[in-house]
Amino acid sequence: MIFEVIEQSLRQPDRVIPVEALLGNCEGSRMPEVVADRLTPAIAEKLVELCPTAAFALEESDGRRALQLAYGRCIGCGRCAESGEGAVRVAKRFALCGLTKQQMVRQWDDSGGGEIPARIPGPQDIRGEIESLLQRALNVRQLDAGSCNGCEAEITALTNPYYDLERFGIHFVASPKHADMLLVTGPVTRNMAGAVRATYEAVPSPKLVVAVGACGCSGGIFAGSHAIVGAVDAVIPVDGYIPGCPPTPGMLVSGILEVLRRRIAKR
Amino acid sequence: MLTIPQTAGGRPARLVTLFGILDARGSKRVHYIFDDGSPAYAEAQLPADGPVRSMTLQTPAAAWHERELHDQFGIEIVGHPDLRPLIFHENWPEGAHPMVDAVSEVPWANRKYRFLEVQGEGVAEVAVGPVHAGIIEPGHFRFSVVGDTILHLELRHFYTHKGTEKLFQGRTVADGVMLAESVSGDNCFAHAVCYCQAAETALGRNAPPRAMAIRLIGLELERLVCHISDVGGLCTDVGFAVAAACATRIKESLLEASAQCCGTRYWRGIAVPGGLRRDFESARAVELSRAVAGASAEFAKLASMILETPSIQNRFEGAGILSSETARDLGVVGPVARASGIDYDVRREHPYGGYGHQMEVPTTHYGDVMARARIRIGEAAISARLIQETAGVLPEGSIFEPVAAGGEAQGFSAVESPRGELLYWLEVRGGRLARCHIQSPSFQNWPAMPFAVADNIIADFPLINKSFNLSYSGCDR
Repeated sequence: MIFEVIEQSLRQPDRVIPVEALLGNCEGSRMPEVVADRLTPAIAEKLVELCPTAAFALEESDGRRALQLAYGRCIGCGRCAESGEGAVRVAKRFALCGLTKQQMVRQWDDSGGGEIPARIPGPQDIRGEIESLLQRALNVRQLDAGSCNGCEAEITALTNPYYDLERFGIHFVASPKHADMLLVTGPVTRNMAGAVRATYEAVPSPKLVVAVGACGCSGGIFAGSHAIVGAVDAVIPVDGYIPGCPPTPGMLVSGILEVLRRRIAKR
Repeated sequence: MLTIPQTAGGRPARLVTLFGILDARGSKRVHYIFDDGSPAYAEAQLPADGPVRSMTLQTPAAAWHERELHDQFGIEIVGHPDLRPLIFHENWPEGAHPMVDAVSEVPWANRKYRFLEVQGEGVAEVAVGPVHAGIIEPGHFRFSVVGDTILHLELRHFYTHKGTEKLFQGRTVADGVMLAESVSGDNCFAHAVCYCQAAETALGRNAPPRAMAIRLIGLELERLVCHISDVGGLCTDVGFAVAAACATRIKESLLEASAQCCGTRYWRGIAVPGGLRRDFESARAVELSRAVAGASAEFAKLASMILETPSIQNRFEGAGILSSETARDLGVVGPVARASGIDYDVRREHPYGGYGHQMEVPTTHYGDVMARARIRIGEAAISARLIQETAGVLPEGSIFEPVAAGGEAQGFSAVESPRGELLYWLEVRGGRLARCHIQSPSFQNWPAMPFAVADNIIADFPLINKSFNLSYSGCDR
């Protein structure tokens, strides 16, 4: 019987998504993208009004008003793309992440004057870069601090034959003691706060912590609840943030690599 | 004490859920929902400003519900065999009842929790969790074992409790759906549709037929994805890596097809009270239906190979038996109940949306891991068929009818989610949610797990646990 299964499996076409197509593939996450030249002050105000998690905000400086989008808060509900009169669309590729929450904020002149500081990561030689960043391997321990299990579903998908994270040398480990990186999902609930701290302590130094998803970055839709302590960085130090609700496997891979790249560049 | 309603056959009705509410004058009440066999369910209420008599000894299914009532509302329950805190752990102060009090600043405490202690020669305790060895949600399991054999398992959950029911309060009816989608991520569409149907019932409006048909496609697709994933997970837990990888591949092909069809892998942000947020082009529905047909055929082949593998039979058969009697006492629902001889499916008993009484419902009575795997495999095939039938004949017309949310209204609705009966009960006052109760199948089924694992070896626990596949976040809310 097992031979039949193996035979069946070998007959399958190779589904592995090439690395160039994988990075930043956000299809299905509905991350918003602002079309800068179609933005008007009225649309900007409307976007601020209709966003359920206050990801959009208006910021005034030097006499010009900017529309800010904090991707760490965005749950990808799609309302802005629906009602933004063409000034917001659903992104086709999305690889934004940050070492700080501030790096996940983009801003545009609200009268169609374009993006204020543009920042789009554009990896060139991805394969070479992955090798130089990871050397041989990166051991990741996933930690659920109170998530709805949406992020877990996407993180689990990273090991399926489409994404096959092991080809980059990224490996999920069972014990925090074997980990280089903690991938933390969910808002940290009051009931999990102690276990989150204990798990962080158990990871040997040097260690990296990446907060995943709108909840991990900002508390997401649960921000302000009496039963949560806050985002991941309210409880343990965080080295990088990956937005999305949930982030797609493509966004997760890009995020993990980008956080590593910038951390190593900083050293 | 409440008199339990009876079914037409004279048996006591099954308790679906019970929960606390505050009426418009601020008085506490307990609201009960029973399944008396009628399509509409039966409701009852008791005043609860004073003590309320426990029904746990008559209806063991009430045990966790009454503990939650005690924790969240501070309602005094008389005659309950175990009123230890359920939802709130050691760091919550005694006397904190978030559903009745203002909760801006809950002080930190350091209380003690007493686990049940099994005594006797050679009895050892094994504590597992809350952080588990894998990409899994958190929860604590306390095993009392003799050698490898489990004598008793005590569950300690609610690590992912996020105060969700309280967060609903004060939101508009339209905004509540986003919170419902974040209760249990892998079946977010069932939660969204259930919430929307409850709102539509409360506000006296049905979604248009086209919206109902598309919702049916989404619900069945979600079930198909979950069941494929669960069968693959069972293979992982017995070390059958090739079959597990095949299952994840089939699952991913469906998620990709979803993303192409409606722009979201898990159908988040599609359902709204009154219908749907966006329409589906007919061509897209046909493409999705084709992807489902392909995936379903591949899965059927894989499943028959899995079931015919002797080492799988050896591990699955006889492992983690849940008797029909225990399942009935605890009000177990979903595929777990149907594997233990309970012929119940919300789609057939309480039809909603695009479903009718003619649903085919597979059942078996063995109650072991193999039975639960077979039920899921059978249901996956039926789901695939329902999707193809519905996608071929999508009704024309609008997908959204605005719902007016003025005045006061109450309503509830149940959905057969991939894990079983899911129910939302909500109350609207002046256009905003005054109360939203979520009865998740995971909350209902978790207490049955210790009965299924008793007398099994501890090494089989991950397998038995996977065969129940309960959501921690759905249970903890």
